[in-house]
Amino acid sequence: MSTFSFAEATEWRCAACDQPLQPAKVRVTYLNSVFNVELMVCPACDFILVPENLATGKMLEVEQLLEDK
Amino acid sequence: MDQSQLRALEALCIQEEMPFCTAACPIHVDARGLMACLAKDELREARKILDRTMPFPEILGRICDQPCRPFCKRAEIGDPLAIGPLERYCVSVTGTVLKPPKLPIKGGAVAVLGAGFSGMTAALDLSRKGRPATLITARARLGGSLPDRAGALLPPEVFDQAEATLKGYGADIVKGASLDRETVDSFLEKYDVIYFDWDDFDRDLLPFSSGTTDPVTLALEQKGCFGGGGVEGDKPFSVMHQAENGRRAALSMERYLQGVSLTAQREKEGACPTRMYTVTEGIPRASEITAASPIDGYTAEEARAEAARCIYCECLECVKKCAYLQEFQEYPKTLVRKIYNNQAIVQGTRSANRMINSCSLCWQCTVICPNDFPVAEVCHATRQEMVATGHMPPSAHAFALGEMEYTLGEDCALIRHQPGTTASRYLFFPGCQLAGTYPDTVERSYTYLTQHLEGGIGLFLSCCGAPADWAGQSELFSDVLSDLKTLVGQMGKPTLIVACSSCLAIFGKHAPDLEVMSLWQVLDALPLPEIRFDIPKTPLTIHDPCTARYQEGVRASVRSICAKIGLPVTETTIGAELADCCGYGGLMQFANRPLGGKAADLKAGRSTTDEGLAYCAMCRENMVGSKTHMAHLLDCLFADPKKDPLTRARVGLSGRHEQRARLKARLQSTLWQDPAESSAPHRAIRLEMDDEIRVLLEERLILVEDMQKVIHQAETTGRYLHNPANGRRLASFKPAVVTYWAEYEPADDGFILHSGYSHRMQLPEADS
Repeated sequence: MSTFSFAEATEWRCAACDQPLQPAKVRVTYLNSVFNVELMVCPACDFILVPENLATGKMLEVEQLLEDK
Repeated sequence: MDQSQLRALEALCIQEEMPFCTAACPIHVDARGLMACLAKDELREARKILDRTMPFPEILGRICDQPCRPFCKRAEIGDPLAIGPLERYCVSVTGTVLKPPKLPIKGGAVAVLGAGFSGMTAALDLSRKGRPATLITARARLGGSLPDRAGALLPPEVFDQAEATLKGYGADIVKGASLDRETVDSFLEKYDVIYFDWDDFDRDLLPFSSGTTDPVTLALEQKGCFGGGGVEGDKPFSVMHQAENGRRAALSMERYLQGVSLTAQREKEGACPTRMYTVTEGIPRASEITAASPIDGYTAEEARAEAARCIYCECLECVKKCAYLQEFQEYPKTLVRKIYNNQAIVQGTRSANRMINSCSLCWQCTVICPNDFPVAEVCHATRQEMVATGHMPPSAHAFALGEMEYTLGEDCALIRHQPGTTASRYLFFPGCQLAGTYPDTVERSYTYLTQHLEGGIGLFLSCCGAPADWAGQSELFSDVLSDLKTLVGQMGKPTLIVACSSCLAIFGKHAPDLEVMSLWQVLDALPLPEIRFDIPKTPLTIHDPCTARYQEGVRASVRSICAKIGLPVTETTIGAELADCCGYGGLMQFANRPLGGKAADLKAGRSTTDEGLAYCAMCRENMVGSKTHMAHLLDCLFADPKKDPLTRARVGLSGRHEQRARLKARLQSTLWQDPAESSAPHRAIRLEMDDEIRVLLEERLILVEDMQKVIHQAETTGRYLHNPANGRRLASFKPAVVTYWAEYEPADDGFILHSGYSHRMQLPEADS
């Protein structure tokens, strides 16, 4: 399965680990579908950033598509 | 829905019925389409319409005796359309555009005796069907009596053109034939099927008794012989009658040659009734435009102007009123077909889901429809089917169902006897939205009821289950209703006094064993309270909620109360049993937020004055805006002197959510003196935000409480992202299915919220 990258340089840092975020592969799922995507993640604690434009854009689009399957 | 149910439903919608002109036309010329093309000066398209239906348009188009004219709906608002003269104009300025196809030759010896217009039509139709006819006339030319009757209207070359057309389709033409009884008798042997055109064939030459003619098939008593055309009884000669008879006979003869039923399914042949329903109210009158020169006929300009008087008869009465049908550009027939197709999809995208979930289930269209088309019932049953088969999109109604669950839960629900009593004759049921919108008014009206009704009046803060019903969640709905009935039973089965028309409708339909009364009818029978706000001088427009459609008594009580308190009111342009939904019904505004807004605007637009009056909490919530002043009647009766009922701010989703819980807590403490219960710690978080962010959260169906939960979780665990450039924090929290994100920054005694968003896609659980 191919991996889509949504990783973009960001000013957000993990507060708990005091680390900058780095691109990492993440498995996201919805309604029995699995997607491998690249997101910005804290390398120490795996805190995953879902930026607003992704959640309200592409992610919402895919959610709605899957809901109508 | 199975296919037979689909067909039965489709048949109820009359939008695709023939318009009055087409139905009245013996050969069903699409006159409405013709008018549309001529009005736009699309002459080729106009000619195509005639070429498609008319035999020999160059003849018929010039002399059509327009039997449709008395049926033209324009007559109600002016003169009927001059369809005949417009056809004449069309064929005068165009040549043939469309040539109907010729089918492969199928055999059969076919003769047409008499070449009047019905004989010509029969020969043409049969030749096109692959049964080349021999057209025989004693005259030296085609047309029978037509050329003599039509005079200058028919230039001689049109008959040459007709002859060429017939030959083009393989017909054989015999002119100047010497016909006697013996020759005709020999034709009975020679041909398998014969048509006699009485306009051009002398009945005395028949070698058999003509007897009676079957009116449907035009069959004569002699086997294989058919007859028509000429003058019908004592009616005047009609060229359309000739065309109709020729066409009717051709179909009978074709069926005769095939050996199939001559009579099956011929109801719509010839002039026939139509179920079309067209309302002309509101259309300006317009008189006929006549040709300045009757001999030359219409000029281009005159033809355009006359054709433009056509009102393009159609029904669409429901669509004209309904925001939902307008939004999806459907009328009920096409809507149910899409729903049926959507449900039939096994693999692939069910693209009509959103449409199915967007109907407000308000029944307005059913009341409007001359055939009571039940759009709401279809959408509702389909939602139930979608839920039952696991095809309901989880996000469609999640928010509303979440709010219902919350309202039924310990934060908001309450059922108590009147303070100081142990029995209830009545139980006040304000409903979830009124409690969330006007908790203060609910409290004052409850107190008022306790002062004016005998026998103890309990209070029941809960939900009737309507959101579950609207969402198609039959099981959940049944559980909610069953729990509610149990609770009412435990209170000694008091009579429910119900404020909300939706609750009243739900109880009436699904819990007929409950004793229920409308709050408005109860108040109307009591002495009314002293009014504590400045009654406006100009009338308020009363907006009936859609769920009061079948509650005539409720609507009357509301008006009676207004009269008693001296509140001047007036009616909407569409109300009472035709009232629109404000967008809340059927959970429309949750499944389709933009449409919900449009529905509210449409309903508000029915006002006849600047200020309005609602008696449904959601109607008021949805219609009140910066430009619309709208009061709730209960708020007028039990007004807080500090708040003007007309200009109170909209409460919003989060406000209603919060106030439902606060109402319970306050009443428990003020009325029943219960010790205060500690509330969840996240609720203590002070959160400030701009109005813009408040609106954004509403649009995204995110509650302020959801944001409080995110921040509480982040701040207690220390798990959040931090932006050193602006000091903001970003965190997420997934209470159940949805993951909420809050972007915020610490402030003096709380936080400032900068954004909130959510997603349903699941992330892997991170190690904490």
